[in-house]
Amino acid sequence: MILDLVEHVGAVARHGMVSVPLGEGDPDELRAAAAAWCARTGNDLVEVQGNVATVRRGRSPNPLGELDPDLLPGTRLWMYTNFDCNLACDYCCARSSPQAARRALGLDRVRQLATEAVDAGVSELILTGGEPFLLPDIDELVAACTAVLPTTLLTNGMLFRGRRLDALRRMDRSRLALQISLDSATSQLHDEHRGRGSWARAVAGIRTAHDEGFRVRVAATLPYEQSAELAPFHAFLDSLGIAPQDQVIRALAHRGAADAGIELTVESLIPEVTITADGVYWHPVSADDDDQLVTRDIFPLQEAITEVRRRFTEVRARATAAAQWFPCA
Amino acid sequence: MSEPLMVGAVAYTPNVVTIWEGMRDYFAGTSSEMDFVLFSNYGRQVDALIDGTIDVAWNTNLAWVRTVAQTDGACRALAMRDTDTVFQTVFVARAGSNITGLDGLRDRRLALGSQDSAQAAILPVYFLDHAGPGADSVELVRLNSDVGKHGDTGRSELDALRAVLDERADAAAIGVNTWESIGREELMPGAFEAFWESPAYSHCNFTALPDVPAERTQPWLDLLFAMDWDNPEHRPILEMEGLRRWVPPQLDGYASLFEAVREQRIPARW
Repeated sequence: MILDLVEHVGAVARHGMVSVPLGEGDPDELRAAAAAWCARTGNDLVEVQGNVATVRRGRSPNPLGELDPDLLPGTRLWMYTNFDCNLACDYCCARSSPQAARRALGLDRVRQLATEAVDAGVSELILTGGEPFLLPDIDELVAACTAVLPTTLLTNGMLFRGRRLDALRRMDRSRLALQISLDSATSQLHDEHRGRGSWARAVAGIRTAHDEGFRVRVAATLPYEQSAELAPFHAFLDSLGIAPQDQVIRALAHRGAADAGIELTVESLIPEVTITADGVYWHPVSADDDDQLVTRDIFPLQEAITEVRRRFTEVRARATAAAQWFPCA
Repeated sequence: MSEPLMVGAVAYTPNVVTIWEGMRDYFAGTSSEMDFVLFSNYGRQVDALIDGTIDVAWNTNLAWVRTVAQTDGACRALAMRDTDTVFQTVFVARAGSNITGLDGLRDRRLALGSQDSAQAAILPVYFLDHAGPGADSVELVRLNSDVGKHGDTGRSELDALRAVLDERADAAAIGVNTWESIGREELMPGAFEAFWESPAYSHCNFTALPDVPAERTQPWLDLLFAMDWDNPEHRPILEMEGLRRWVPPQLDGYASLFEAVREQRIPARW
């Protein structure tokens, strides 16, 4: 069997794949022998089915090494502070609403995550929900994050009054950016999905945050077909004083409460490590979907990040193998 | 800028294309660019070197010996892999065969690789004659499965090993690279054991003729020697070509093969 591996794998080009019958014998022993040979000779055992091994010649390219360093999983850490919200947007990927259970991460866990994030090589923390400003201790959660790393806080910007405005004012402007959701230059489209009057209050929130001296990023969630004609929207954001690089357009995802949108799967998403009260998820867009739950164990954070990277490498290797295995011509 | 240095190599596996495209890319944009031509066998490549179709040939040890013979020694070796300076032939038998040395092959069957393979045919006979009972005392089972490529494919050596497993031979002579590729004695426990390893000898080298002056080859060699195992851009090429660094040629390591070729009257164009 080893002789067959040498001969068959030696006959294909680097990164080419070949199936090699492993012959008769105990499947586990044959698999182990094939794996040992591949490890020793620097080849990649893609899979063993029955008694046939599929081997890729040479070492697999490292998908992590091919990523832009900013996209390396674990560079940014998302935390869902809570899942309840004052709005019930019809496309919310997290299924948040006033009826949703809070499922708060809590100050202790946020603080521990922030601390471990530094050692794990995270360079930015992102807090989202739900609506984080529903939490009475949101300023303390933010302070735990900004004390160690630059932080972004996602909000609908509609609650900057009274004690919540006081909480906003206590946040560290030098370390915190606010990302406020706004879908259109006029109220119609925004209110259609988020509720009547929500556009006007969000715009007011943007102005408040801006006037309070915060860096404000505005993020729109749009159906793919509407993402082409954005000039009026950008002009409106310009008029609000939002810097061009802080005007973010996201495609609507078919996740959570959305009944349409682009399909996002583990295979098609570059992961962004996301923590909720329920565990570690592949990406913030799927933080309420079990199909993208990575592990229930939030701590230690480094292990969670390592596991996400391992799975990403595995998924990409499988995709590469499939791409080579099913040529279209 | 001068014309690219044309390097010849033999296409013994599809990987050769990847290797030499990688080499070409490494030299691209430098003052010493190269391109390559692939041949189906070493006889054609040496012909092309002599008639000037290529400037440099990536030659096996037998191709080097034959080039020396056909140019009356006018050719020169430019560089080789570190692994080419310590090549060996390994004699293996079924585990538990109790063959303990070359003398144990007397009146036994020894499987050899292709007749133009220095490591698996020509030098094994030489070693039998000079360090063993003499080739005439051994039944040679020749497996000429990749003639023309000087044993580069490894195919004939695998066939020799299969002959041992199938009890069509009592032992086989293979290159140390094939021995390594099957995991020595470790990955097939109870299958094979090595009972004699030859002294180290030289294997491949880059060969040029005097028509290609040192002013053309030296800048290319300087860049070649600068390839760095620790550089992630260089490493894949070095791994595929089976070396950690390029080194100056060690011509003393060809002495045994020159002698073997003369003794065995190997044809000049093999």
